[in-house]
Amino acid sequence: MKRNRRKIHDSILKGLIYASTTVTIGILVVIMGFVLYKGLPGININFLTRMWDNETTIVDINRNPVTGENSEENYVESLGITIALEDENIIIKDIEKDSPVEDGLNIKEVPYELKEKDIIAKADKVTFRDITVEEAVAALNEGTGTIRLKVTRPGGGIVPMVISTLYIILLTLLIAAPVGICAAIYLNEYAKPGKVLNIIRFAIQNLAGIPSIIYGLFGMLVFVQNLKMQYSILAGGLTLSIMLLPTIISTTEETLKEVPNVYRQGSMGLGATKLQTISKIILPSALPGILVAIILSIGRIVGESAALIWTAGTVAQIPSSLVGSEAGAATLTTKMYWLIKESADLEAATSIAVVLLALVILLNMVSKLITRRFLRSRTGK
Amino acid sequence: MKLKDEEKMVTEPTAKTNQAVANQKDYKDMVFRTLFLLCALLSVLSVIAIITFVFSKGLKPFFGQNAYSLTDFITGLKWDPGKEVYGIFYMIVGSVLATLGAIVLGVPIGLMTAVYIAEIAPKKIVALIRPAIELLAGIPSVIYGAFGLGVIVQLIKKVSPTGQGESLLAVICVLTIMILPTIITLSESSLRAVPKSYREASYGLGASKIQTIFKSVIPAARSGILSATVLGIGRALGETMAVMMIAGNNIGGLPGSLWDKIRPLTSNISMEMSYASGRHQDMLFATGVVLFLFILVINLILIRITRKMGNEGSSN
Repeated sequence: MKRNRRKIHDSILKGLIYASTTVTIGILVVIMGFVLYKGLPGININFLTRMWDNETTIVDINRNPVTGENSEENYVESLGITIALEDENIIIKDIEKDSPVEDGLNIKEVPYELKEKDIIAKADKVTFRDITVEEAVAALNEGTGTIRLKVTRPGGGIVPMVISTLYIILLTLLIAAPVGICAAIYLNEYAKPGKVLNIIRFAIQNLAGIPSIIYGLFGMLVFVQNLKMQYSILAGGLTLSIMLLPTIISTTEETLKEVPNVYRQGSMGLGATKLQTISKIILPSALPGILVAIILSIGRIVGESAALIWTAGTVAQIPSSLVGSEAGAATLTTKMYWLIKESADLEAATSIAVVLLALVILLNMVSKLITRRFLRSRTGK
Repeated sequence: MKLKDEEKMVTEPTAKTNQAVANQKDYKDMVFRTLFLLCALLSVLSVIAIITFVFSKGLKPFFGQNAYSLTDFITGLKWDPGKEVYGIFYMIVGSVLATLGAIVLGVPIGLMTAVYIAEIAPKKIVALIRPAIELLAGIPSVIYGAFGLGVIVQLIKKVSPTGQGESLLAVICVLTIMILPTIITLSESSLRAVPKSYREASYGLGASKIQTIFKSVIPAARSGILSATVLGIGRALGETMAVMMIAGNNIGGLPGSLWDKIRPLTSNISMEMSYASGRHQDMLFATGVVLFLFILVINLILIRITRKMGNEGSSN
């Protein structure tokens, strides 16, 4: 009797354990499935290589007919391009080698190279609306010398967000990695138990628990408003640096702890100073662990949104300075949020999610690889 | 000020010994030692700065001329910045209920999964599940939000009596998923830390594997599981982006059922930050202060538990 009851009891609990694990793994599968199902159709070469916004430019082109034969239909001889009609727009379908459109100049006299798929909206005085291809070819061939084109380069790509994300990763690590590593060195190599150490540990533990939206508030108040950085990559980078300090410090400290004490004693015994021991012995052997800490941080920067929206902004542009209005930058994640919230475009958002997932998986794999190598070399010794 | 004094106290004795054997190398050591210390103190400075700035702006509307009543703010059931009405009590309730729900669902599921990984699964399966959990932990919260909006909200819409998908239930579901990795990883490591002798003793007394796990291993790992739970509470309470997309964010009224909309504290802040100014912006910071106080309490509890765990570990 008793034995039977125990058996039933055990199987119920065992069932619960298996069910829970299935739920956990099932959730991951469903999320991945959802993101891939919704997002993959939106991913193509244009999505990965184009700017986000349509970009309209006035370009002056010095006509210089390309020598050689081209019998293709709708070939504009004077410019060395083939045009076509697509979605009621005249687009550049093909560009010959050495075509003058490669040396176009915009209004500021800065070189602007036309590319395939660019839309020609106007040529000199002729607006290309409700126009046949033949008429467009005629308009483009008309006259000699310089021709002024109004060209729209279609957007819809994630290039600015990828570059902004990279900038913010670089900036944040440039600030947080040295500070975090130095702090970890102090905590593990120098600090003696006492009040200072307790206060520092208490502060780090608290920093780790603060939600990112609070970091966002702080960054907006201090960096964006008080220090007048505006929405900028520097304000975002500084905010994220503070946020990542606990991660970098504690991961680095863990690695420093794993460096065997024999190394320290050996080095000191040979007459090295503490500083020499740290820089020549401890840091090199802790390097893989520090790398893992940095990769972990990159993962968090890539995924962060709440702390970045109010510090780096949501403008999809390639930032050209550290602070000011040119420095605002949407990362992949903040843009994804913006797409869902402001334009209710779940498809485009999930396409970005596919890219984000690929990044996260890649980072996880790299950190695994380093850890495995590192562990093997340790046990090998 | 107090901090600086203490810093001196620690550095002074070593400074004296350094002077005794004064040579250039020691001097260099000193400089770097100070540099390392300053870096470590930067984290203290950051905490102080965050608290000072957020609190000073968040408490501004309740003091001075034309002050807003703090009681109205804390106990109010309506948020209408256009009419200068700022009440956040219903948001506190929403946040707490959502967090509670996520813990009630997430801790058992997470713990059971951790039991499977740590005690039952063969090594080959662990090698498959672990990366999956790490991936779950690494997915950005915005993606969880998109998933909640695209899947969970749509499902709830079909069965909800209100016909609305954005609800307390949706928030609970997404938060449960989001805290799972935290609960699983921390519980797993605390289960693994339970000494083998516990299991052997239990088997020796004739207990089955399941009985051993539930009667001896889990109780021995309870403080680790507890700290995982507290960490989960902190994460659920502070989660912003995913929650904001699926909560509904109503402008007033306590949630009466799982189908009702809620407006968590975090999403109140991020919803209106982009256009708020003046008192309205201060009030959003005040919401941040309330959230911060909750988090501080949770941090203190967590630090206490981990300290206790450390003591237990050293006494073993």
